[in-house]
Amino acid sequence: MPGAGKPSGQGTFDAGLYQRGIADAFRKLDPRQMARNPVMFVVELGSALTTLLWLQALTGHGEAPAGFIGAIAAWLWFTVLFANFAEALAEGRGKAQAESLKKMRQDTVAKKLATGFTIIKGREPAAASFSEVSSSSLRKGDLFYVKAGDTIPADGEVVEGVASVNESAITGESAPVIRESGGDRSAVTGGTVILSDWLIIRASANAGEGFLDHMIGLVEGAKRQKTPNEIALNILLIGLTMVFLVVCATLWAFSVYSVGAAGSGVPVTITVLVALLVCLAPTTIGGLLSAIGIAGMDRLIRRNVITTSGRAIEAAGDVDVLLLDKTGTITLGNRQAVDFIPVDGTTIDELAETAQLASLADETPEGRSIVVLAKEKYGLRGRTVGSTGSGPAMQFVPFTSQTRMSGVDYDTTQIRKGAADVMYTYITAVGNTASDDLKREVDTISRAGGTPLVVARNGRALGVIHLKDIVKGGMKERFSQLRRMGIKTIMITGDNRLTAATIAAEAGVDDFLAEATPESKLALIREYQTGGRMVAMTGDGTNDAPALAQADVAVAMNTGTQPAREAANMIDLDSNPTKLIEIVEIGKQLLMTRGALTTFSIANDLAKYFVIIPAAFVSTYPALAAINILGLHNAILSAVIFNALIIVFLIPIALHGVAYRPMSAEDALRNNILLYGAGGVIAPFIGIKIIDILLVLLGVG
Amino acid sequence: MKEYTELPSRIAAQVRPAVVILVFLTLVTGICYPLLITAIAQVAFPVQANGDLLIHNGKVAGSALIGQPFSSPKYFWGRPSATTPGPYNAGHSSGSNLGPSNIALTDAVKARVAILHLADPSNKLPVPVDLVTASGSGLDPHISPAAAYYQVSRVARERGMTEVAVHALVDSHVEPRQFGFLGEPRVNVLELNLALDDISGAGGTAVAPGAADPHASETPWLRLPDWVLLALFIGFFVVTVVPLGRFMVRVIGGEPHLLSFVFDPVEQRVLAWSQVRAGEEMDWKTFALAMIVFSLSGIAFLVLLQLAQPLLPLNPAGAGSPPLDLALNTAVSFVTNTNWQAYAGETGMSYLTQMAGLTVQNFASAATGLAVLAGLAYGFSRRSGSTIGNFWALLLRSTFLLIPFCIILSLLLVSQGTVQTLAGPVTVPLLDPYRATDGTPVTTQTIPLGPAASQIAIKQLGVNGGGFFNANSAHPFENPTPFSNYLEMVAILFIPAALCYSFGRMIGAGRKGVSLLIAMTIIFLPLLGLAIAAETGGNPAFAPSGIDQTPSELQPGGNMEGKEVRFGIVGSTLFSVVTTAASCGAVNGMHDSFMPIGGFVQLFMMQLGEVVYGGIGSGLYGMIVFAIIAMFIAGLMVGRTPEYLGKKIEPDEMTIATIIILIPIILILVMTALAVLTDAGRAAVFNPGPHGFSEILYAFTSASQNNGSAFAGLSANTPFWTLATAFCMFVGRFLPAVLVLALAGSLVQKKIVPGSEGTLSDHRPLFILWLVFVVVIVGALSFLPALALGPIVEHLMLTGGV
Repeated sequence: MPGAGKPSGQGTFDAGLYQRGIADAFRKLDPRQMARNPVMFVVELGSALTTLLWLQALTGHGEAPAGFIGAIAAWLWFTVLFANFAEALAEGRGKAQAESLKKMRQDTVAKKLATGFTIIKGREPAAASFSEVSSSSLRKGDLFYVKAGDTIPADGEVVEGVASVNESAITGESAPVIRESGGDRSAVTGGTVILSDWLIIRASANAGEGFLDHMIGLVEGAKRQKTPNEIALNILLIGLTMVFLVVCATLWAFSVYSVGAAGSGVPVTITVLVALLVCLAPTTIGGLLSAIGIAGMDRLIRRNVITTSGRAIEAAGDVDVLLLDKTGTITLGNRQAVDFIPVDGTTIDELAETAQLASLADETPEGRSIVVLAKEKYGLRGRTVGSTGSGPAMQFVPFTSQTRMSGVDYDTTQIRKGAADVMYTYITAVGNTASDDLKREVDTISRAGGTPLVVARNGRALGVIHLKDIVKGGMKERFSQLRRMGIKTIMITGDNRLTAATIAAEAGVDDFLAEATPESKLALIREYQTGGRMVAMTGDGTNDAPALAQADVAVAMNTGTQPAREAANMIDLDSNPTKLIEIVEIGKQLLMTRGALTTFSIANDLAKYFVIIPAAFVSTYPALAAINILGLHNAILSAVIFNALIIVFLIPIALHGVAYRPMSAEDALRNNILLYGAGGVIAPFIGIKIIDILLVLLGVG
Repeated sequence: MKEYTELPSRIAAQVRPAVVILVFLTLVTGICYPLLITAIAQVAFPVQANGDLLIHNGKVAGSALIGQPFSSPKYFWGRPSATTPGPYNAGHSSGSNLGPSNIALTDAVKARVAILHLADPSNKLPVPVDLVTASGSGLDPHISPAAAYYQVSRVARERGMTEVAVHALVDSHVEPRQFGFLGEPRVNVLELNLALDDISGAGGTAVAPGAADPHASETPWLRLPDWVLLALFIGFFVVTVVPLGRFMVRVIGGEPHLLSFVFDPVEQRVLAWSQVRAGEEMDWKTFALAMIVFSLSGIAFLVLLQLAQPLLPLNPAGAGSPPLDLALNTAVSFVTNTNWQAYAGETGMSYLTQMAGLTVQNFASAATGLAVLAGLAYGFSRRSGSTIGNFWALLLRSTFLLIPFCIILSLLLVSQGTVQTLAGPVTVPLLDPYRATDGTPVTTQTIPLGPAASQIAIKQLGVNGGGFFNANSAHPFENPTPFSNYLEMVAILFIPAALCYSFGRMIGAGRKGVSLLIAMTIIFLPLLGLAIAAETGGNPAFAPSGIDQTPSELQPGGNMEGKEVRFGIVGSTLFSVVTTAASCGAVNGMHDSFMPIGGFVQLFMMQLGEVVYGGIGSGLYGMIVFAIIAMFIAGLMVGRTPEYLGKKIEPDEMTIATIIILIPIILILVMTALAVLTDAGRAAVFNPGPHGFSEILYAFTSASQNNGSAFAGLSANTPFWTLATAFCMFVGRFLPAVLVLALAGSLVQKKIVPGSEGTLSDHRPLFILWLVFVVVIVGALSFLPALALGPIVEHLMLTGGV
């Protein structure tokens, strides 16, 4: 999976994790904790009840042999412990992560600026203007000052200064990043370390409520709230458990009647009914449900994505419209020169050379790509600024927002390059006219979705440079995968319609929004939402914030501005715009894992009836032996053991999620029904038979 | 708190429409409709409408449809009859209700075989099964040709006639299958014996011997006409579902249709009297309140009507006041569309109660179900709304919808011999009088009549099931011919099947409704096959008795105990599976006497939640609830918050859906447990062993699922049983209905999610199969243990000989 973060998988487990998991499994037996999971709580009550029956049997007054009741009771306790262990294991991974984060959260000293402090641009505050306070006393809106070597005491927005900051504690990336006031790189995170220069920061969160605190809470699972789907599934599982509770309780009455009607046998024992109840209750999914949820969150964190709510992960699975920024997500960050087109009889070499000269001092990616193209295509060695010592002195004219041109002056030669409309004005101003040839070439490039740059020497147009957006490799495949998953991709760009359409076609997105403004983005999202769609988008700029707030799944880049990060419900620490696609996949995988294990759990029950019913009632009705198709000797014990062990076998699936490949809903359902539905019907027959054979070999029964 | 303080006034607001509409419906469906049918029937079908009386030598000699007891060896004997106090007591139709594993049944059959052998020792042929098994009505006028031919030698000897002559007479009295393919070939015993007396009197003129071979080719399992019946049955729906479905959408939606010119003005008038503003919409709570107020008014009225019947007109049989608990049971039973009958119609109900009470509720309860379904359809089809239609308007339209079809069906039934008259019972002489066990001679038979056809039409079309007579559709006056049997069977599913299509169209895609119909059918067909296989196979307990149970051209064979010859095995089994699949509860054979697997199918059909077709509206809304649960799990499996029919399924919907599924399961199991643990419960049991358990399980299953059929051996007319079943019927009907309305109220507020590639199809084959799996597995997981201790173990004991 491209862009996958830190290594994942079983490798992250170590012995300590297991030990702690086992200890936690016992700790979680506390009924107050168990009551939060009704299915497993019922199992725990059943375990306690059979244990009491076992104690009674030890005194010689039991309803069945003490050995049998004891074995059932023991395996019922194991069932609970296994489920607890799964949950503890999932939580354990998060806890380890939280530990390292907590180390960063230690109390630091904050240089709080006095209220009423006036910020003077470029001026470091004097020592007298701030007081040293504990970072824990900072409140939202406070101004504070940090200089090289300080740990930033709280989340905030840079209001003055430029500095390099080490954010490796959060992102794992060791290269320092620049943080400065204004623009898109103004957000800083508490706990990161400032390496050079100084900053004045306005705290954006109260102490203890910052990003780091939030993250710790999330990975610890403390703030994990049940998501709507989880609640709905829980309701279904409680419903099923109630059905089985009623089935088992009433079965005792039916058994009493049957004994009377048949005149033989004894009523079914409570031990057997409890065993039946636990086998039927959806313990497999009930026991693993919270582990699945925690593991889903964990998978996201390991891909360096922080969510503010579990709900957002689920929503990610439901997304059917993805809004993707063109730049950086679909195309490489910048346009590149791909061609030189001479006009009015200029030779191509002349144009190439002039273009290269005009761009020598242009350090923008576009400018560099022109130099590179001239060098690679026309063999022109890039003459650097200093290499023309023998030649005339060169004077570079940088791009300004007033002239909107750049170029170079030497001797009497004036070379300029710029956007077509600007250059037309420039050419006309010196008394020339833009030729039809030139206009035709400019139009051709525009129509093809490219950006034409006109190159002129001394007020005469030599030709046009074709700048083009380069679509990232593999995007087309990615988008067609998304389409198969039923997700529509929409490219957002500030380009004009023509350019946008060309890139959209090349990248294979379903639709595009050209000449996008914050308002039009917001309107687009609202339009889709009104139509019942779930919309996801990524953004980093302050102007993305309204749209991010509106989107169902909003991923902000960690490099983004504070408003963008606050508006989003997920933050990508890698600031990788294609991460959204992975987030969608994780969301789907989470739901699928729940669905698959629910199906498996319910399908299992069929076999258990075949196993337990004849065993429980054969004394009353010997004819029922015909249903014992497996020919079991220890049917009830085998079923209980199977029921407990299957939880252990399924822990890896719960923690890693079911295999996920992008495919249509129909195909996914078919595959999962066959695997977990049909598999769920068959597996217990085989498993229980094997356990029964082993029990016989061990001399039980 | 505001809602609670408002509650009394909100209830009060619904009382006026409830009373006005109840009075209106009583007049229209309880008085006008039966009188109209009676008038037409008396003019168009005077013979059939009045009991098909046989005039022999200028005198009434009996009814062609009601059998008479014959015990003299010189007469052909009919089916054994289990009526009390004596056989063929037309005043109290009933079957034996002996279970297939009941030793009393095997003993009775052995005794009958012994009597046949004693009367004709030289006849060593195996005895045709219908000659030694009691019919369902106890009044079966027919025996199979095989049973008649078997008796030829005895009758010939006793009368001093040649066997050829008697054989020929039988030949001439073999009625072929109706239209050549429906029902069983059969011999009317009374008519044959009358003819026999005529010939004997005339000196025994020989008629040319026929060519019938008593042992025509034996075919395994199903014979060609059986297949034809099944094909005609399914074919009927293939033809009617779409046009009827469209018509219903128009009627329910108040769009113009063929009969608007009558329906619309009447609807407006009645709503005006009710002070309901036309087009006024209700939120789900008001809708539910209206439904409850209307239903409670119906119960109250019906209780009073029953108690007052001795004082009211149209009571020719002189029915008295039932005990209060029985009256309440019957009232709840009919208002909940269950039509469980703890009373015998012949003696317990006056004509007025049957017409103005039971018939009205047959209409109203079906229409109520339809109205609730319409509310749910609005919940799905509307986007971000808050109202789900007007209960009163929907109730009226749904009732109107039923009336024209009832008129057509009633008249078709009368043409076949279903009675429709206001005249009282007629007394006819017995051809072969006998002495009762106390020695008094019995020389006459009193045949009950009544306005039956009009009630039976709505009993079937409204999926109600409450019979006019005790034996229900096994009674020859309710269901006289194979064709009437066919009509009654298709009538049960007529509306539930087409309603699937209507629902689909109401939510904007007919095919989505049809997919639910297909899912239902996928569950229906294999279970039908299982039941037919069990019943045609006959009862292994009879094997040592020298009985021929093999189906052939001359006899239906199979398990004939409790079944009528004219319908045969397939015609009876199909009826039983249809009536339990739909929550109808009409029976044309005694379910108590079906084979264990036949009974298993009946029980399981109901335990699946009455969602395989089910009641009008209620079956479909039950199936939709299952579809929501199936879609929820499926949606998780494809990694997306599930949506069904464009609406997202969220915790609220899952809570409601789960509770709806839970209610009947808990009711059935807990009440069954209560009954088996108490003396009052156990006292009602008729059959021993696991079959007795099945009787109790069946009773609560039928009541909670609003089916109404019974393992009728159970003596359900005791206060424990009438009150316990009334409780189940009421809770089993209205709690799910209110919750379905709550579901509609929750759905209607949601946006409609447009479909995409990522949306799981809610109508393609994969989802249909998944839905089937979910329905079956929920039913199986809930009831397998109980079924294992009832029909399953009974089957194993019967086949294993343990």
